[in-house]
Amino acid sequence: MNDTMKKRRLWRDIKANKLIYILLLPAILTTFVFAYMPMPGIIIAFQDYKPLLGPWKSPFVGLDVFKRIFSSRMIMDSVGNTVYLNVLNLLVTFPAPILLALMLNEVRCSIFKRVIQTVSYLPYFLSWISVVGLVQTILGLYGPVNDLLALFGGSNFERILFLGQQKYFIPTYLILNLWKGTGWGTVIYLAAISGIDMQLYEAATIDGANKLQQIWHITLPAIRQTAILLLIMSIGGLFGSNFELVYALQNPYIDFEVISTAVYKIGLQQGDYPLGTALNLIQGLIGFALVATANFISKKVTDVGLW
Amino acid sequence: MRKRVTVGGVINGFLLVLIAAVMLFPYLNVMATAFNDGADAALGGITIYPRVFTLENFKVILKDSKVIRATMISVCSVVVGTLFGLFVQFTAAYAFSKKSFPGKKLITVYLMIPMYISGGLIPSFILYSTLKMLNTFWMYVLPGMFNFYNMIMMRTYIKTIPDSLQEAAKIDGASEFTILWRIILPLSAPILATVSLWLAVGYWNDWTTPLYYIRSTRLQNLQYLLMRVLKESEMMTRMLADAIVSGNLNNLKVTVTPEAVKAAQVVITTIPIILIYPFLQKYFIKGVMIGAIKE
Repeated sequence: MNDTMKKRRLWRDIKANKLIYILLLPAILTTFVFAYMPMPGIIIAFQDYKPLLGPWKSPFVGLDVFKRIFSSRMIMDSVGNTVYLNVLNLLVTFPAPILLALMLNEVRCSIFKRVIQTVSYLPYFLSWISVVGLVQTILGLYGPVNDLLALFGGSNFERILFLGQQKYFIPTYLILNLWKGTGWGTVIYLAAISGIDMQLYEAATIDGANKLQQIWHITLPAIRQTAILLLIMSIGGLFGSNFELVYALQNPYIDFEVISTAVYKIGLQQGDYPLGTALNLIQGLIGFALVATANFISKKVTDVGLW
Repeated sequence: MRKRVTVGGVINGFLLVLIAAVMLFPYLNVMATAFNDGADAALGGITIYPRVFTLENFKVILKDSKVIRATMISVCSVVVGTLFGLFVQFTAAYAFSKKSFPGKKLITVYLMIPMYISGGLIPSFILYSTLKMLNTFWMYVLPGMFNFYNMIMMRTYIKTIPDSLQEAAKIDGASEFTILWRIILPLSAPILATVSLWLAVGYWNDWTTPLYYIRSTRLQNLQYLLMRVLKESEMMTRMLADAIVSGNLNNLKVTVTPEAVKAAQVVITTIPIILIYPFLQKYFIKGVMIGAIKE
């Protein structure tokens, strides 16, 4: 009796919300087709995939494909490169927006502040390939950077082909990340700073605290929560990779693969579907484990989590 | 607050000007190179203004039929993609702004999972191939139509619209659909503007979709063309050869070099964003602020 009543009420609730379900249908359907339907395709990582047979009839080979991953020099290098590049990138790009936000916060003239903000946000909205286009010009043999070096380098200065040398690859990568993301990264910190009670600063001034002491004891503690959260979240991304920038910077003189470029080259360019899928799967699993761990730590430390 | 000029303040201001200059300089330099005679630019020393002004670099590009086509593809994917994306996002966001309905939690989880787990590049490629979607315009638009983050941003905004408005309309006999169409949609204009800007920038900047899924040269967009110009030297040689054969380069006093044309291509690919962005900046920021508020 109770059960049927519950069922009836549920049915009534569903009918009453008919429009809601109709409105959700586009999102549910597109998510199903484009996000869920590819998932079973992961099984080709365990197969000797034959395009003519498709992912359902190709013969299974167990973990052979994964063995190939661990015996491939190029793939293992790409895994190491990915982590190395991400750690460096985190060290460089994490503190930068905090510093810039603190500097912007000290500006009293609002027009000046707005102009600086507008200019520094701009690179964020350009595509990575456009950014590489810009850098090809300014780092060109007869571009402004070489011009500047030539100015100080004297008469026997040899112009440097920055983008064609392995040793400049990582510095270029890091600088471009700084250039593109630092300005936009300040938005969230400035929001946190704007929430600080001005009376705290006034009280500190009366107590004789100077500007640096005020930043250290008032501003920084106020944005600590935000910073920790962003830091934890970026740890979750340590196994991901910026395909667009690495691929765009690659050329015949640069030998540097990350996981995502390896997946693209092995999978789509060389057509080795199982190997590409297996590598992608490993990246996905470790990445997910990192995000989950980061989320767990975040909840413990800051009470804020993704889920 | 009193305005006092301090030494620290001056140093801070000076550093910020320096940072802004570094942010802006690459773009100005590429502009200057793009508007400069190629052979002259090859001597070096171009800073932020063209030394020998010319439009020939742009003529090489703008008279190329590939570029015109690619621009059209880019514009179409921005327009169609933004409209489709807004529709899917807004309908879902409105549904989720409701306090409760059976299955709300389940559907939320269902829509959220793909943010963390995906089939990956190759299973997607195989699926698109099975669906006969490879090498079609729809590749640009359909796969990325729903975005959980954008949807949450919209939902958060819709929730701030006072319930009393909806209740008043209900008492006046308005149907649920009328409320959605006549009250919620117009009141959501600011968030719709914000989300459509993000969507539009995303579609305009997309070049991995054609890289992965589109072979047909007729369907390549402007960003992809830029990628080829930057990465394949024969692409540039061909463009220059085409321009010479078709007589588009008639001013013989001016020289055009691959470097200068590259710069012009960068300018053409980025100019819509550079022109639009400063005026719409506040909408972009608003989106981040709303997105930052959880629940």
